[in-house]
Amino acid sequence: METAISAGIIGIGLGAQYALLSLGFTLIYGILGVINFSHGGFYMLGGYVAFAVVSKLGLPYPVAVIAATLVCAGLGALFELLVLERHIDDHLATMMLTMGLYLVMGTVLVLAFGTEPVEFHSPVSGSWRSGRIYVPYANLVVLCACLAAIAGVYALLYKSNLGRALRALADDRPVATALGLPPKILFPAAFGVATGLAGFTGALVTPILSLHPHIGDSILTISFMIVILGGLGSVVGAAVAAFVVGLVEAYSSIYLGGSIGALTLFLLVLITLVVRPTGLFGRQVRAA
Amino acid sequence: MARLCRAAIIASVLALTQICSDANAQECEAKVGVVGPMSGGAALWGLSARNGVEIAAAEFNQAGGLPMGEKRCKVVVVSYDSKYSAEGAAAAANNLASQGVNVIVGPVGSPEATGIKPVAERNKQVTINSSFAKDAIGPQWPLAFHAVAGPSAWAKPVVKMAKEKFDIKSIVVVAPNDQGGTDTATVAVDTYRGMGIDAKEEYYQRGTTNFAPIVARIMRSDPTAIDVCTAPPGDAATLVKQLLEAGFKGTFGRLGGVATDEIVRAAGGIETLGNFYWLESVNVEPAHLEAIVAVQKSLTQTPANPAVVAIFAASGRLALKAISSAGTSSDGVKVAQELRNLSIVDPWLGKGDWTGMPSFGIRQEFGFPVGMGLIVKGKNLGVSPVSVVGQ
Repeated sequence: METAISAGIIGIGLGAQYALLSLGFTLIYGILGVINFSHGGFYMLGGYVAFAVVSKLGLPYPVAVIAATLVCAGLGALFELLVLERHIDDHLATMMLTMGLYLVMGTVLVLAFGTEPVEFHSPVSGSWRSGRIYVPYANLVVLCACLAAIAGVYALLYKSNLGRALRALADDRPVATALGLPPKILFPAAFGVATGLAGFTGALVTPILSLHPHIGDSILTISFMIVILGGLGSVVGAAVAAFVVGLVEAYSSIYLGGSIGALTLFLLVLITLVVRPTGLFGRQVRAA
Repeated sequence: MARLCRAAIIASVLALTQICSDANAQECEAKVGVVGPMSGGAALWGLSARNGVEIAAAEFNQAGGLPMGEKRCKVVVVSYDSKYSAEGAAAAANNLASQGVNVIVGPVGSPEATGIKPVAERNKQVTINSSFAKDAIGPQWPLAFHAVAGPSAWAKPVVKMAKEKFDIKSIVVVAPNDQGGTDTATVAVDTYRGMGIDAKEEYYQRGTTNFAPIVARIMRSDPTAIDVCTAPPGDAATLVKQLLEAGFKGTFGRLGGVATDEIVRAAGGIETLGNFYWLESVNVEPAHLEAIVAVQKSLTQTPANPAVVAIFAASGRLALKAISSAGTSSDGVKVAQELRNLSIVDPWLGKGDWTGMPSFGIRQEFGFPVGMGLIVKGKNLGVSPVSVVGQ
């Protein structure tokens, strides 16, 4: 029984981390139609900015998290404005550009910080324990941050004027532009929000796990899998899929082993796509 | 006047001849390749390998060049990033062959060794790999050599020491679920069981970032020790961190590539780590370690592990001596013949012997002594030598 409860707690913890990661990824696709292959890079960058602020500047951790978020948001917005915007309708070009950005970011981080993992610990230590069940307090912080981020992104997209404008541009850009909505301001803003979220996640999660310049690869894979499962462009879908993936991974890994756990996850995605190709919450869009 | 002109012409011709022969000496090169992961999670090992070979090359170049027959040739190191993958290493062999490089120091890891061996054999290239794979070398690849003693050679004496020191009753060996993990993990588990320790294997998908589910699974079996085997340094560090968070109070071990610094950092210091034993693939005296770090820093700023640098510097020196004896760097078969005639001795690693027959069926392994490191109750007791000759 203790194992089952532990698995559930671990699954929710994993789900929270995955939800934070995938929200930004699905936001960019939903609004701009861009598959952002540099998503893992912004996660890494967020971690390293937070590390640098804490270890080199000696500032408190919450300041480091804010700094990481703002740096990643700013860099993302600039990249969209100066590079992506010119090729926004060319899916292959945007994929290549974001992939190139990821490679550049990884190399710069290696040159700046080296190839080895850096010593970056969460300031929140200790765990709540009951028998064999334990919940690290740092994981609880991540869970609260995740819930706040989901609420924030939902409020931004569905309860604010900015969100309405972004959804209008995503639905029909020519008409929205003709009505006075400026894509050259709104798209960089959306990209910045998404990359800021990735940086925020990196700053929160890397002290719990590990920070080295190669963690971005697996981050991209899991984010991609979750948004596909949840439905490309669906914020609610990404959040639900993240917790589903977290729980499946936890239970299958604990009861069946690490290798079979990974296999189970991919099988889940495969079966879901066969039964429901648009994902759990995706919409089928038909051309007029 | 005519005599003066004739003398001037003769002097000019002599001068030109001298210039041409100097130019020929500068054009004389001995190429040696380095293959290893220079990006990604195992980049530390690949970059250290490259640094080691560059040190060996620099030693010969600073002495005027590598003697090859009557000439002294400049040693040129050509490196290739194989990204810790079989296809990367196979591509490396072909790429280096196209550049006329037929002596390769590397690759580092098991997947790479698997990928490079058949291609290098076809290209008639010598390779000197440091992988812990069960088939790192073999009679079917006569040009493949092994830079370090493999698990079959050192597992028994190292496990015996660990069991005596820490009274290990049960252990879980954790490794990635590919050849890089399974080859060493299975040997380790068999050795632990042979010593009367209840041993289990746990594998994980390479690319895992959060080991919480695997940690929970390991804690269910309540082991007295956990061996993080050949998990890459980043993975091993996260695993140890999360195991300590979960309340594990037993002994940690690592019978795989170097990762001690990363593990100690992730644990939050050696006091928190408690008890830890690890394999050093070679035993390097502290005085030599300082020399390695100094030489390394003078050549390059890229981070490196001194022990891995020493392994590949030794392999580089032996490879270059073989090239010198063969009088060529382009005939891999000839270089391999000369390499087999060399004694296994190195200024940094000491004296070893040709080993490998019991494990691989071919005596083409550089059997330098290995080392076993110990941290006992939060105190670093350093590294002790372990001989592998006769194992």
